[in-house]
Amino acid sequence: MLRMQDISKIYRTDLIETHALRELSLEVKAGEFVSVSGPSGSGKSTFLNIAGLLETFDTGLYELDGREVSGLSDDARSRIRNEKIGFIFQGFNLIPDLDLFDNIDVPLRYRRMKADERRKRIESALELVGLASRTKHLPSQLSGGQQQRVAIARAIAGDPALILADEPTGNLDSLMARQIMDLLEKINAMGTTIVLVTHDPELARRAQRNIHIVDGVVIDSPPYQSRFTQFPPRTTAGAAAE
Amino acid sequence: MKTARTQVNLMNVPIRPLFSSLRRNPTGAVLVALQVAITLAVMINAAWIVAQRLEKLERPTGIDTRDTFEIGIVGSSRKFNVAQAESEDLAYLRGLPGVAAATVVNGILLTENGGDTDLSRDPGTNGPVVGANFLTVDDQALNTLDVPLIAGRNFRADEIRPLTKGKQTPPSEVIVTQSLARTLFPHGSALGRIIYNGDSNPLTVIGITRDFMGPQVGAPAYNTVLLPTMPGQAGLYALLVRTRPGMRDTVMREAKQHIGTAHRFGITGFSTPLAKAERQMHAGDRNTAILLTTVTALMLAVCCLGVFGLTTFNVGSRRRQIGTRRALGASKRDIVAHFMMEGALILSGGAFLGSILALVVGNWLTVHYALPRLDLVYLLGGVLALWIVGLLAAWQPARRAADVPPSVATRTV
Repeated sequence: MLRMQDISKIYRTDLIETHALRELSLEVKAGEFVSVSGPSGSGKSTFLNIAGLLETFDTGLYELDGREVSGLSDDARSRIRNEKIGFIFQGFNLIPDLDLFDNIDVPLRYRRMKADERRKRIESALELVGLASRTKHLPSQLSGGQQQRVAIARAIAGDPALILADEPTGNLDSLMARQIMDLLEKINAMGTTIVLVTHDPELARRAQRNIHIVDGVVIDSPPYQSRFTQFPPRTTAGAAAE
Repeated sequence: MKTARTQVNLMNVPIRPLFSSLRRNPTGAVLVALQVAITLAVMINAAWIVAQRLEKLERPTGIDTRDTFEIGIVGSSRKFNVAQAESEDLAYLRGLPGVAAATVVNGILLTENGGDTDLSRDPGTNGPVVGANFLTVDDQALNTLDVPLIAGRNFRADEIRPLTKGKQTPPSEVIVTQSLARTLFPHGSALGRIIYNGDSNPLTVIGITRDFMGPQVGAPAYNTVLLPTMPGQAGLYALLVRTRPGMRDTVMREAKQHIGTAHRFGITGFSTPLAKAERQMHAGDRNTAILLTTVTALMLAVCCLGVFGLTTFNVGSRRRQIGTRRALGASKRDIVAHFMMEGALILSGGAFLGSILALVVGNWLTVHYALPRLDLVYLLGGVLALWIVGLLAAWQPARRAADVPPSVATRTV
């Protein structure tokens, strides 16, 4: 699903260079639930941004769902983000002026999906996260946990192959954090690959595999072991070739 | 790689979420929409007024302004014998070698000095009334004005009502301009027809002239009626003189000097080449057009600044939202289209209000200032122009929004 080889990223200012990632290599198989952990400033966020095509990298190779993405145009990167990746942000990143329905609709509209199809997907996603009755509510009318569930609904509504979660429980209390992790595990169990970036060791342990990054380098990356018995891992390699 | 500039498609931007977003944060949008509405109302009506003024500037006077001048004489005492003075002045002027023709009139052509009257096809006050400027003249008026008759005949010398003490005998014949004839009798010739003045005196139209501008008092410029009556009842009159080509200034100087000392109880009030009167007449229209155009351009600029400012503010305050949209798959052109459509909605709301306001203001101007009813082409043109200029104002900040990187979505500060 996701393969990085010798990825380096340097942030430059007039005075200093910061090596955020140093020849980082890792692989995430389709259907895995992987956590990426590390101390503050270790390069977790840079990894997430590069994995999510939110940022470019300086050197190395990155294949996402079987496709090398380093030379893609901005438009092509946007299209891949829209079709293959679902994002869950620490701060939820819901649009405050839009109700839940419209918030989940945002990425689907960018895909130029038909209205009927969008509606079905939004209702189904909200059903999955247990907020089907709140479609007309604004984000500000929901608790933090509920807002993150809406963000998860937005991430899964487009049926992505990969979900990138950036400290999804960072702004939540422990009870809500557990609920969110349960939900992510449920989604993963349905075949969606999940990469969870966190600094919380307890959360990291709930993932199938933990990749530990320090100073932009992978320190510890246990090998992949499938735990799925009920669902086969999903891949959208066919869709990527479209 | 194609640029976002060539690919922005506003039709892909969802309207309903934008509407609901604007509804929840209406203040800035409403203020800018009001600014657009007021600008549009002013712009459309100003453009309409300017068009009228420019049309006036292009209209010919119909008279030989280059070689014609007027001298005004006013009595300084009750002893001033106007009839005798008129007679002596005309005799003097017509004897000058540089004079082509001279007459005596009751006003100053091309200025707002003169008289106006109401004319109608029916006696009394029931029928429709047409406003007309009038000139009281002698039989040499058409020759002096160098205005040809297109139908009928000129006044005969014996038809000119002399200046008498007390009430003058009203004339029974008139000559009218072509425009006035058409206004009075749109479906047939006015020649030989009887019209009535404000006192319900019957006047037979004996001649119709090509259009020319008389004194412009309270009626359209080309609506002029000539009455065969020697002016001067109020103790003042004007001498209208057409010189031979190139002789105007010499003759005017000489005539002014002579007439200024010729009358014991009369003084020369003014002397004006009609070319100067024409320039002054046009100066008002030209200045009004320049002023209105300048004010409108400034208002439009301020309005554009409003759209630019609001879009810039929205882009600045929504950087994280823009980053999130980009992370969720919005292309740069999607972001540009989003802000352009937001601008378009505000402009459309303002244009709708502004159109209504423009019609109301236009109607008010028609009622109170006799301006012709607003042409809807100007309304549509104004809406389109403001819409386009407004969108251009939103373009730059919208382009800047597209440059917000998607990684902004993951930043926590």
